Amino acid sequence: MILEKRSNKLLRLIAPGLLTAVCLLTVAKLYAFVNEAISIALEAATPYVEQGFEVREDNWSGQVEPKKPLLVRHQLFRGNEYWFWAGTSWTGASVRVDIFDSSGNSVGLESFAEESYAGVRVLPQKTATYYIRMVAEYDPEKAAAEAQAIGVLPAADGVGEFGTSVDWGLVYGYR
Amino acid sequence: MIRTSSIPTIIRLLLTTLAVLTSIVIRAQDDVPERIDLTNFPGEIVDKVVVPIPVEIFSVLDKLGELDWGNGISIPENEPQTTERAILALTFGSLVGEGFIAVQAKDREKIQKVGHRVLNLSESLGLASAVRPHSLGIIEAADLGDWERVREELDNTQQTVRETMVRLRDEELSGLVSLGGWLRGTYVVTRFISEAYSEDKAELLNQPGLISHFREELASMTGPSKSSSEIRAISTGLARLEGVITDEEIISEEDINELREISHTMLEEYYFGTEDAAN
Repeated sequence: MILEKRSNKLLRLIAPGLLTAVCLLTVAKLYAFVNEAISIALEAATPYVEQGFEVREDNWSGQVEPKKPLLVRHQLFRGNEYWFWAGTSWTGASVRVDIFDSSGNSVGLESFAEESYAGVRVLPQKTATYYIRMVAEYDPEKAAAEAQAIGVLPAADGVGEFGTSVDWGLVYGYR
Repeated sequence: MIRTSSIPTIIRLLLTTLAVLTSIVIRAQDDVPERIDLTNFPGEIVDKVVVPIPVEIFSVLDKLGELDWGNGISIPENEPQTTERAILALTFGSLVGEGFIAVQAKDREKIQKVGHRVLNLSESLGLASAVRPHSLGIIEAADLGDWERVREELDNTQQTVRETMVRLRDEELSGLVSLGGWLRGTYVVTRFISEAYSEDKAELLNQPGLISHFREELASMTGPSKSSSEIRAISTGLARLEGVITDEEIISEEDINELREISHTMLEEYYFGTEDAAN
């Protein structure tokens, strides 16, 4: 009886710790495996997969200051058609993507930008390295409106507010 | 009377509205500059290089003419007899490249053989649990003749292995996996082009940026593998490839034969046994 009481007490003492550890591990694991910006870029790619584009598993991602352009170098082959899709998961953030040849000339044939994702299509005129430019924007008013629309309460001072950068992800497909 | 005369006005109004709307749309698209200065880019240049998978080139070659892909498959007789992780990583990449060739050939048996080999190799690398689902996926999809899924699983396999290596702080090995796949793909491409040369096909090998990337990766290796005879031979091979592929120049038939010889010699270092006359 005494032993049972002691073990219950011990369990009560270590249970919160264990629970916290499990939660932290789960969050760490999710953080390691889920890249929201890439998920959004892949979502943008979905309709094109039905058109025969094969989307690569490898991709680019990171954090960037709004308005600061990013440049990604990539080898393309003449004879293939490519789409590049960019995404960001930050509330109130948007992305644009375009592509240039090795002389810096714009070569995108078609593009779109829909708030958190964007895409550009290219038919390379030569096999070479191309440059994909991505720019993210952040609009605090839009972020507040979007947060309110989904029922998120205004952040306490400094908590959950915009820092200095937003996430970005870039994927591509070819056919 | 008023109605009749007002019709052109309505049309004019509609046209004006349309013109305004069109100009807005065009302005939105005009956000893209016609030209940017790459030598003085006002932003951040992303370091990461994504290496194209061999099938990106294979698909162009297929558009340029029918090829006997079955003739390009050359799975080494024996499993690697080394515990050197750098060599195992290179072999892993080349085996995945072999898988892509077998998919082009739609050869179920060879794809399944590659699937099994990939799994064995991942055991040697200590990555079997991450690779097993993809390896089984390759075997299953090949059995069903679902070539698109086989390609996806091959790409997934390579990506999973590379990501796992990065997580285990084995970035060097991750780069070697990409190099192995690229090299196997490059060799088979040079083989096919040398059999029926055309400038259009040869242009596919215009990849100086990738060669320079691989050279930088090998140069930045810090482990003991850097001084192994295989890695040194591959570094030399890459330097030779770079000497042949110079940007903005047409790659001649003679160049193609040279590229074929160099890439084969590089693969002999770790993939084809020297006894395999995989020509």
